[in-house]
Amino acid sequence: MSAPATTSALEVRGLTKRFGGVVAVDGCSFRAPLGQVTGLIGPNGAGKSTAIDLISGFKLPDSGTVLFKGMALQGLPPHRISRLGLMRTFQSPREWPGLTVLENVVMARWDSGRESFVGGLLGLRGAQRNTAADELSRAREILDEFGLLALRNERAGNLSGGQKRLLEFARIRMAAPELVILDEPMGGVNPVLGERMALAIEAFIAAGTSVIVVEHNLPFIKRVTEHVIVMAQGAVIAEGSFDSLRSNQDVVDAYLGEMVT
Amino acid sequence: MTAYLVSILTEGAIFGIMALGLNVIWGWSGDFDLAYYGYIAVGAYMTLVLTIGPASATPPAQYILGLQLPYPLAVVIAVITAMAVSLVVGSIALRHLRGIYFSIVTLGAVYVMYVIAGQFVPLFNGYNGLSGLFDPMGDVLGLDYNSYQYFFLGLSLVMFVLVYILMARVSSSRFGLALRTLREDERAAAAFGRDIYRLKLKGYVLGAALGGFGGALFAAYLSAFNPSAWAPIEVIVLYAAVLVGGRGNIRGVTLGVLIMGVLVQESTRFLPQIPVLGDLNTHHPQVLLAMRGVVIGLVLVLFLRFRPQGLLPERRFVDRQAAPDITPRIITTNSEASP
Repeated sequence: MSAPATTSALEVRGLTKRFGGVVAVDGCSFRAPLGQVTGLIGPNGAGKSTAIDLISGFKLPDSGTVLFKGMALQGLPPHRISRLGLMRTFQSPREWPGLTVLENVVMARWDSGRESFVGGLLGLRGAQRNTAADELSRAREILDEFGLLALRNERAGNLSGGQKRLLEFARIRMAAPELVILDEPMGGVNPVLGERMALAIEAFIAAGTSVIVVEHNLPFIKRVTEHVIVMAQGAVIAEGSFDSLRSNQDVVDAYLGEMVT
Repeated sequence: MTAYLVSILTEGAIFGIMALGLNVIWGWSGDFDLAYYGYIAVGAYMTLVLTIGPASATPPAQYILGLQLPYPLAVVIAVITAMAVSLVVGSIALRHLRGIYFSIVTLGAVYVMYVIAGQFVPLFNGYNGLSGLFDPMGDVLGLDYNSYQYFFLGLSLVMFVLVYILMARVSSSRFGLALRTLREDERAAAAFGRDIYRLKLKGYVLGAALGGFGGALFAAYLSAFNPSAWAPIEVIVLYAAVLVGGRGNIRGVTLGVLIMGVLVQESTRFLPQIPVLGDLNTHHPQVLLAMRGVVIGLVLVLFLRFRPQGLLPERRFVDRQAAPDITPRIITTNSEASP
């Protein structure tokens, strides 16, 4: 390993994925610093979502490496990557609609011992109860932070779109990964809720969770990120602070030029 | 009348065990498994070949094993065999396939099992099937024919209650909740660390074990088993029981068994006989059987349209503890949070 893994939360090298004749991700390489918020922006079709799927194991890369805590992640299944402490959200919120809001938060934390079948059957190691007391109080705390406590016994499927986004954040708070990749968290979210999400991202950093956020909402990117990576046509074309990128002609041509900001 | 009541209650208890097994696979894990009756059949066939002794030449019969093991031991082996078969089917069907594609593969699997059991005579005596398991354990316990019926009713009920208690534990366990996350959204389940394939496979084999156990009891109840006991309607009745009672809710499933398995099934017996045209003394015997299917189908359609969650919907964990007051708040609550 040549890379100093201590300073990067994530390092991606030469990641490539083809779908038939289309090269969705084409030798994509970048590093996301530890303990910071990294923005990942780019026009539609730039390969951002595919890159997330490749990093989180939901798709297999054709080539390239993904380094997390000095470990190579490529080829591992999603649950293994998640257990190592790299989690992700999805473009459209993926709550468990038939479970309650509280159950959604509690189940964000995977627990190998308590989830075993034999344990559940025989009531070993507290596995009989699906919710342990300390876990419950932690979940309640988190729901309170996000203003969802009053809705904790509601079916998650009954929440509004914005509330589902908040629930997604609450689940990440519960799981407390070392790195989270947020895939367009501002999709369909109003400005007031957006401010709440910005605060939540700051809370992730304070709790030791590094963040990568994919977003088309540039004011939000400017608000929350320290470092921005710009992708176009499957590769990284520029990176730096948001303000430095505004003066980069490649970035303006590929992406920012389309924006009114 | 008493004998009749004893027989439908015995049948109901066995049927309840089968339905609770199906509820693990369809109710919790969320997979519409059409191979389920295959595991019941494996349980029944294996129990018979392990208890009825060697095949006789008159009338000609052929089957594997032909042992005379004690019934409880045979049941254990039969359940393990059903689990092994389900492990093979499940490890193929659950790896990548979901929804209708999973159902098609399991339909294929059960059809292969059905054809092999019906056509490959040396295995389970082909289409004639197996018979001769009379009152297992009756001689050891010194029971005559009449008292045996009560004994077997009691045995079936006790087994049902045991299975019910175990399933109640699974339902409220973390494992049970993890199975439900797969049903609700398995990509999210994987994103939060769940090995969806292994978890689903565990649920599948657990369900099949109950199916095999139900089949082993059923074989003793019928004292025989053959491909005609294995008609497609049987698995539909099981699905109907789970759907009508309440998918995912074990109380609901029990209620569904009482309604679909006992009430509907038995009440169609009392429909008026339809005489053959021009001869008022002979009746169409097949009409009753057909009417049963019609009634079950009608109930299914009505429930799917008007109450898809069933009579007793799945119960969710309700947190009744008063909200703790937490300070400082990282994110202030405002009216924005309400819909």
